[in-house]
Amino acid sequence: MQKHLTDGELRAALDGELETGRLQHLEVCPDCQRREQQLKVESMKVSSRLAFLSSGEEPVSSAQAAWNRFFQKTQDKEISMVKRWFTIPVVRFATAATVILALILAFPSTRALAGELLNLFRVQQVTVVPVDFTGLEQLTGDGALGNQFTALISDSIDMRQEPGEPVAAASAEEASQLAGFNVRIPAGTTPSQINVTGGAAFSMTLDRTKAQALLDEAGRSDLVLPASVDGAEISVDIPASVSVAFGTCPKPGSGGSGNHEQSTTQRRYPDCVILAQIPSPSVNAPANLDIEALARIGLEFTGMSPEEAAELTSTVNWTSTLLVPIPRNAAIHEQVSVDGVTGTLIQRSSEETPQFALLWVKDGIIYAISGLGTNSQQAIDMANSLP
Amino acid sequence: MIDSMKHLKKDGFEAISAEQSPAEFEALFMGHWAQVYRLLRRLVGDPAEAEDLALETFLRLYRSWPHKYPNGLNIGGWLYRVATNMGLQSIRSWKRRERYELTAGRYALEETAQESPAEILAQAEERQRVRLALASMNERQSQLLILRNSGLAYKEIAQALDLSPASIGPLLVRAEREFEKQYRALAQEE
Repeated sequence: MQKHLTDGELRAALDGELETGRLQHLEVCPDCQRREQQLKVESMKVSSRLAFLSSGEEPVSSAQAAWNRFFQKTQDKEISMVKRWFTIPVVRFATAATVILALILAFPSTRALAGELLNLFRVQQVTVVPVDFTGLEQLTGDGALGNQFTALISDSIDMRQEPGEPVAAASAEEASQLAGFNVRIPAGTTPSQINVTGGAAFSMTLDRTKAQALLDEAGRSDLVLPASVDGAEISVDIPASVSVAFGTCPKPGSGGSGNHEQSTTQRRYPDCVILAQIPSPSVNAPANLDIEALARIGLEFTGMSPEEAAELTSTVNWTSTLLVPIPRNAAIHEQVSVDGVTGTLIQRSSEETPQFALLWVKDGIIYAISGLGTNSQQAIDMANSLP
Repeated sequence: MIDSMKHLKKDGFEAISAEQSPAEFEALFMGHWAQVYRLLRRLVGDPAEAEDLALETFLRLYRSWPHKYPNGLNIGGWLYRVATNMGLQSIRSWKRRERYELTAGRYALEETAQESPAEILAQAEERQRVRLALASMNERQSQLLILRNSGLAYKEIAQALDLSPASIGPLLVRAEREFEKQYRALAQEE
């Protein structure tokens, strides 16, 4: 004699989902049949209440129209971010990257360790990380989170040195004197502009409670900042930078990073290529800072899975690597040999606004060549012709 | 099986390959749009809200496309699971119940086949109570009821929720009892 059917088996029998062997028992067991009837009454009552979930063929907007909306949504997010990253001068880029890096790093432990600062970070290489910018957009947008983020940064930062306005230089020699490092210009070229922007320096003291509140507000309460990181100082020094423009380029400081201005800029300056150079920024932080754990939080916030973030953080040397985030699905990147070292070529292949950027680090200087169009070979040739 | 599911393979949901391209994502979107939208349309009642949630469901898949997902991902199941989650979150987020009632009443006119205003109102209240009961339950149990009552077979539900087909019967019994408990509690409050 087989065992009586469980309620679960009886429920499956009502849905015609019970295996044949058990059905045979049901057919000959009055007790199971009685319980099946009781369950049927219960189940039908619930099914009748939920019947509207399966009813009718509601009108559906066409899949093509929905796809167009969807596509627009993805483009809005990705294009705005890629434009921002590709076109800002390297000093702003380096500042932004350093601020992001500093944010990742800047959750130090205690003021008692302030005396144990070490020169934690100096760029020797660049690693590109495809990320989902949605999280960052929330923080940099005009919404409530963006305002909270702005308030947190302004409360946390003590600006020790302002970069000032860019100053025009007539030659590489003059730029070198102004910037304090050897400025390189490709052999046989005549720049249309050379501009030097002064260095900047600031300290940050992070408020762990506020930073965690931001993460919570952004819907990432799963990312928990360690309690011990509250209150210590991070100091960031950004050296003077030089921007060398070729072709018809906008004047520095004339905007161009805003979305509205972007399309105009691209129409007006289609042949503009900019070579930017900056000695590595440096970040000082307490020696016992668990950079890897904090970097994992930053990477997960930008859309990586915990596994991906763990894998990346375990392979990166955090004392010497500048992470460059690029929009996932909107840009491709590859390693190339330039200027005697390995660089990273990033390309955004869009019919409307293709762009490229080449990044590399040599002798402690970060170089970036960016331009519009698809001729990324131009950047590689330019890099290889540097003296 | 409901009509919107008919294009799916007989042996279950379509699988996703790690090598699939953005163009293939478009094809996937076109193939699954109607079923995801309809599920959400019934669940939340509001067509505009349903469309936004459906777009967000696909956006979540797209953001990590394709490398985040292993070969053989049950894509239809993934979309169903995320869509039901988002629909339930949307219902929960309507903290101001008046607004929910107003919306439910407005769209009841489109949802119902009844003509009497009293019947329309009664049906709107009934559906509102059902939605709130589902939203107040354990997520897995709500998903189970929604997917089963949307016409999915046990095997399909099991794939969508990463469960064994044999566990669906027992879980359904528990979910239906919990639903009835929540539903009655809401009815008593009114």
